[in-house]
Amino acid sequence: MVLYPILFAMDNAMKTDQQVYAGLTGWLSNGISLHNYIDIYERVPLLRIIWNTFAISSINTFLTMLVSFLASYVLVYYRFKGSDKIVGLFVWSMFIPFTVTIIPHYLIVSKMQLVNTWMGVVIPQIFSGSAVFLLIQSMRNIPLSLIEVAKLENISDRKIMCHIVLPLVKPQLIATSIWFFALTWNDFIWPNRILKDTTSYTLPLILQSFISGEGGGGFTSAMAMSVITMIIPLILYLIFQKHIIETFTSAGIK
Amino acid sequence: MELNQREKIKSILFLSPAIICFVVFLLIPMLYTVYLSFFDWNMIRPEMDFVGLDNYIKIFTDETTYKVLRNTFSYIGIILITNFCIPFVFAFVCKFVLHKFANFYKTTMFMPGFISLIVGSVIFTWILNPIVGPVALFLKEFGVKMPVWSTTEGLVIVVISLITSWKSFGYNFIMLYSAVSGVSGEVIEAAQLDNIPLRKIFLQIVAPMTGFTSFYMFVMTIIQGLTYVISPIDVLTKGGPNYGSSNIVYAAYFKAFYMFDTGGAAAMAVITLVIFGFGLFLLNEVVGKLVYYEN
Repeated sequence: MVLYPILFAMDNAMKTDQQVYAGLTGWLSNGISLHNYIDIYERVPLLRIIWNTFAISSINTFLTMLVSFLASYVLVYYRFKGSDKIVGLFVWSMFIPFTVTIIPHYLIVSKMQLVNTWMGVVIPQIFSGSAVFLLIQSMRNIPLSLIEVAKLENISDRKIMCHIVLPLVKPQLIATSIWFFALTWNDFIWPNRILKDTTSYTLPLILQSFISGEGGGGFTSAMAMSVITMIIPLILYLIFQKHIIETFTSAGIK
Repeated sequence: MELNQREKIKSILFLSPAIICFVVFLLIPMLYTVYLSFFDWNMIRPEMDFVGLDNYIKIFTDETTYKVLRNTFSYIGIILITNFCIPFVFAFVCKFVLHKFANFYKTTMFMPGFISLIVGSVIFTWILNPIVGPVALFLKEFGVKMPVWSTTEGLVIVVISLITSWKSFGYNFIMLYSAVSGVSGEVIEAAQLDNIPLRKIFLQIVAPMTGFTSFYMFVMTIIQGLTYVISPIDVLTKGGPNYGSSNIVYAAYFKAFYMFDTGGAAAMAVITLVIFGFGLFLLNEVVGKLVYYEN
């Protein structure tokens, strides 16, 4: 049930429209043909779009992880009066529906003249309550005694952070980064507002034009475009799936 | 915990990027949206006209608002069943009855979580194409003609819910599975020894004991029903037919960026926040009491 749509897309991406309308056939029954992909490449600035998507996802993931990591570290290990309130605030911010912030975000980005740019897409998204939540959970899973021993031995704070905590949360950090990378890669609503011409688009944006056949293509082109859009995050998922599932699982066991 | 001077400086330094981003991109925008809701504007004119509660009144006297509200609850209702109750039960079954396949299910079901909702929309649109899609052809064998769901009021919501639930089912399943795993096996075994039927074990023992995680997932599922549906709606129906697939979040989005009624959109967003916040508050109280009694 879950896999069917994925396989459906991959299969039909290789066919021509006539073959599809003729009736149902087995998977990959007409052999592997890349004509749809070549067609898309010629019709649309595909490489540029893939590069946009990749760049925006990477930058956003990097900045979000950096900001969240620093914040989580302080919130977990330097508990001070009110730090719990901040944690609560950050975590509950996950639940805010985007409509209350999207209009001002758009206004900010256009005032900063960042419409149609990568940073315009990235900057309002840097703070993420869920990133902070996941990282805090991972850090809390490290036994506190480890840190205390290190402090007693007068190891510098910087060393504690880089050589003890960081390596221990590395799997979760990687998993969360991959998750955010995929999230940004697949994002539609916000990039749709900010990116205006085809050469600036990300993959989901150009995919939209294939839905009604505006892009000039038919059903099979849409399938091919879908495969292109989903393949990178899926590959990342398959490589890192163990880490990813573990991270979410342990975040849930609290 | 007392912090020395050096640690204080470090805390401020490390925490400040997050706090700055939080204030600039979350807090201030929220307040500004509330501010905007009292004006009539279209995002382009240099002047905004103060209209007080006009936008709110317009929304409450508009018939489509109530249609949209009903849709909102429909979406949430459907997705709570498909993406909260079902994964919850399934997680319980996987954990305590079908041990072996849990990992396989977790891995495969999570895949759509990494796929864009747009991709999901495109693929499902064609699978469910009323004329040449596989489902239509399959139904034709039985002499059933498939309705054109994109222009049929009730069905649109079902299809869009289907796409959304396909995407987040895996994530919800994994989280609920780990919540269920957190319940001690001994309690379950003791209950089984007492010959308590599985159904009761689930409802009266396991479910309450999953505490915060299931509460979190309940809220997350509602959010999924509120915000994840926006992408398919924008791409497939734009809220149609006649606002039949729009929900309160999409209506605000539509008002803002398609009708350029900035004040109205802001008002709608504020109303959404109030309803949602109030709902959350109520939920918190109710669950708080339940959790108290479990011990």
